[in-house]
Amino acid sequence: MPDKMDWLKDEMSGVSKLTQFSTVMKFLKGKVSGPSDVVKCAMCPNMCRHACPISIVDGKETTSPAGKSRVGMMLENEVLRFNEENVFPLQMCLSCGCCENWCPFDFSVSDILRPQREESIKQGVDFKQFDEMFKALEMHGSVHGKVGKEKNYPEEGEVLYLRGCEFRENDQRVIDKTMQLFEKLDESAFVLPGEECCGIPAYNAGNTALFEELAKKMAKKINMSSAKKVVTSCPSCAYAYERLYPEFSQGLDVEVLHMVEYLEEKKRLLNLEKKGGSVTFHEPCKLVNGLGKKKSMRDVLENSGLSLKIPRRSGEKTFCCGYGGTTVSRLNEELSSSINEERLKELKGLSKNIVTACPSCKEAFQDNHGDVKVYDIAELFNRLL
Amino acid sequence: MIRGDFLSLNESKKKKRASKVDKVIKKLSDTLDGGRLSTQRADLLSYSHDYWPIYLHWMLEDRYPSVPDAVVWPESIEDVRDIVRWCYRGKVPIYPYGGGSGVLGGAVPEKGGIVVDLKRMRSLKLHKKDLLVEAESGLNGYYLEDYLNERGYTMGNIPQSLYPSTVGGWVGTKALGQFSTKYGGIEDMLKGIEVVVPPGKLIELKPHPRTATGPDLRKFFVGSEGTMGIITKGWFKIWPEPEKRIKLSYASNSLKDAVESIRRIMRRGAEPAVIRIYDEIETKRHFYEYDDIYGKVATVMIIEGDETLADAESKIVREEFVGKEKGEKPVDHWLETRFSIKEASEFVPMGVVFDTIEVAVGWSGAAKLYENVVGALKPIKGVLFASAHASHFYPQGICFYFTFAGTPPRKKDAEGFYQQAWEEAMKAVINSGGTVSHHHGVGRQRRRWMSEELEEGYELLKKIKQKVDKRGIMNPGDMGL
Ligand SMILES: Cc1cc2nc3c(=O)[nH]c(=O)nc-3n(C[C@H](O)[C@H](O)[C@H](O)COP(=O)(O)OP(=O)(O)OC[C@H]3O[C@@H](n4cnc5c(N)ncnc54)[C@H](O)[C@@H]3O)c2cc1C
Ligand code: SF4
Ligand code: SF4
Repeated sequence: MPDKMDWLKDEMSGVSKLTQFSTVMKFLKGKVSGPSDVVKCAMCPNMCRHACPISIVDGKETTSPAGKSRVGMMLENEVLRFNEENVFPLQMCLSCGCCENWCPFDFSVSDILRPQREESIKQGVDFKQFDEMFKALEMHGSVHGKVGKEKNYPEEGEVLYLRGCEFRENDQRVIDKTMQLFEKLDESAFVLPGEECCGIPAYNAGNTALFEELAKKMAKKINMSSAKKVVTSCPSCAYAYERLYPEFSQGLDVEVLHMVEYLEEKKRLLNLEKKGGSVTFHEPCKLVNGLGKKKSMRDVLENSGLSLKIPRRSGEKTFCCGYGGTTVSRLNEELSSSINEERLKELKGLSKNIVTACPSCKEAFQDNHGDVKVYDIAELFNRLL
Repeated sequence: MIRGDFLSLNESKKKKRASKVDKVIKKLSDTLDGGRLSTQRADLLSYSHDYWPIYLHWMLEDRYPSVPDAVVWPESIEDVRDIVRWCYRGKVPIYPYGGGSGVLGGAVPEKGGIVVDLKRMRSLKLHKKDLLVEAESGLNGYYLEDYLNERGYTMGNIPQSLYPSTVGGWVGTKALGQFSTKYGGIEDMLKGIEVVVPPGKLIELKPHPRTATGPDLRKFFVGSEGTMGIITKGWFKIWPEPEKRIKLSYASNSLKDAVESIRRIMRRGAEPAVIRIYDEIETKRHFYEYDDIYGKVATVMIIEGDETLADAESKIVREEFVGKEKGEKPVDHWLETRFSIKEASEFVPMGVVFDTIEVAVGWSGAAKLYENVVGALKPIKGVLFASAHASHFYPQGICFYFTFAGTPPRKKDAEGFYQQAWEEAMKAVINSGGTVSHHHGVGRQRRRWMSEELEEGYELLKKIKQKVDKRGIMNPGDMGL
């Protein structure tokens, strides 16, 4: 079989050798590397725009996927200076990875623009909202600052349930229901005394140093615990533990599972009888794109015995709830809320009962609209079992 | 940064204009609250271009020669009317902006002024019984088609830029999609339209199956590229999703064999939704994984619709096509890769200058036009390759889609080389009896051939423009208007 670029080599063989000719030939022969990822993306006609929740709802070129890379390129080339105004568009990214599913280069814009976001922190670009969050993380190990009173749970066992900042601050009821579910599944679950944030909010905002600091602390605590397995309700936490910690040499000694992955393992136990009632579901982008679980949540829910209403945008077409990725909701709450409305409109058209598997998504849907009932997937199964 | 500059403005004109523009911006910022007007540098630079390939080179050289004074994001017809009203009063240029995927500089704010991005106007409504969809102009193309598909319908307009482009851009440029031989171009789909024209009037032309109320004003705005008004909504024809899809592919010994086959097929009334014939170079480029096709002329075809009709069409195709049938696999390969756009990203930063040129010609001139255009491009110093595929077909003729790429020779910059290639290609098209544009439109790149192509018709177009847009605020310079 001929090589992909043989046709061009053939055509070029008859051409006189001009200025850039040899560079192109070397590139075709794989002897020089091509342009950087940011430049490649900047030169793309936005072939993933339709999948990007920011782009669909914000509607601005500047915050579209290729648009962000163009701003990144302008910052790199000093056409734009690093300041709040110019870095702002780069922060309008939910880290949802929806672009990656459609990108011919498999880029996720949130990843390829990390160097620019890191540089902006290095250059002292100060978003007050980030400063507050960084302080809360440094001082209290939680994005929300000092954690309030919490219920007591076992502090030793086999399955370590990491509750995450969001549920600990805003929805301790779900923690309770999740612990009940573990019990029903005969699991010796426990929580980590002194649990802190996984660090991903700092990572998303470009503060890699703070992320590393938090990662080091949490990795140590988890590795010193009695855990044989870690389960978390938050797909971003799971992503951090599973993917980012090893990248920063803080790998965990135990297996980490997001709740959906855990329930997938227990699928046989969850095979429930058909009953009345219907639900729709929202697959968190970090689960689908970050952890690559394109169909898991749907598969697990298909065992619930409930009638499932499948949204138009599901699986790898899922749409962010608007509150992913730390930065958008902090710098542009209005935009987060509009994205949330767009998604909720779609889900509400199917059912008033929405199941999700991410504390931020749950929070966003129920906070913005009182007329729907939003369940975390563990909470739902606890109720059904 | 040069504000609102692009070749034509001199310093004193710029200063005089600046104070007027500032007044209009002030007025508009009172109306468009919530960050819906921006004069921030990052926004202005982001809206200084569309996907005109030569602009990519300028961007890489940090040149942004057409920066607007402000960008606005209207959310309602009232917003759009306000924008047109104030710009009309202040004589400030307006540039409607959709997805910025236009490839001829149609949305480039050449003379400064205000870019109006329509992407926040994106509501849609399905009229099932009337087989119509009503869509605001900023709606994303994929969003629309996906929405329809989920409900069992299709609009059948699938340009390769489906993902980044908007409905308003489709109407603005007279776009058409990969399935056009069955479903037609956007002009065939558009049944009603809503446009805001200077000095801020709303024109509503409601959808009817057909109407004989004078010249077709709906069509007047198709392909107007923002020079006559801002399109805010359209009503489009839709179809139930096809019952059957038949995929056929062929390898022929010559381009002529394949092209002539399609002529005969269309003459018999068959209308395969997709037909694409690749010349030898493009066959090698797109089908390198298929040994038995490599080096030949590949044709891929999709026939779809009602089962009885689709079967009958495929029978006609099989009876007429000269070439070896190659099954469904090459068609599946085409379906899988048809949106994979990588070349510009990989090669432009390396200094490679490229473009695509789509033209149309009657069957009788098809072979000559192909030879002439490729023959005109290849000898240009620096051209690495010139090739084509035939992408859209009519009982009367054919659209050829040429691609050229090259590296500028010494003493020539990217732009000089680029314009030379265009000159040669356009000359060859005109001499071969073709039209200079089949579907990308005119924009700023093709305006210098308008007069030659339309002759007195162009004078009429200019007169109409003067009447509709007395102060010349609507996308000034586009199409040379
Ligand atoms: C990779 C790629 C593939 C392409 N494939 C095709 C194809 O298959 N078929 C095809 O026809 N074209 C194709 N194009 C060209 C381009 O995508 C189309 O011309 C498309 O219709 C432009 O839509 P847009 O929303 O991006 O418009 P823009 O680029 O934003 O604007 C195009 C023109 O329309 C005007 N305009 C935009 N919106 C409005 C409005 N609401 N009211 C009035 N005027 C308006 C603008 O002022 C400008 O003059 C392709 C382009 C690319 C980059
Ligand atoms: S990661 Fe999500 S928000 Fe960010 S550019 Fe990609 S699709 Fe858009
Ligand atoms: S992420 Fe990929 S598809 Fe999206 S704009 Fe960048 S290069 Fe294009």
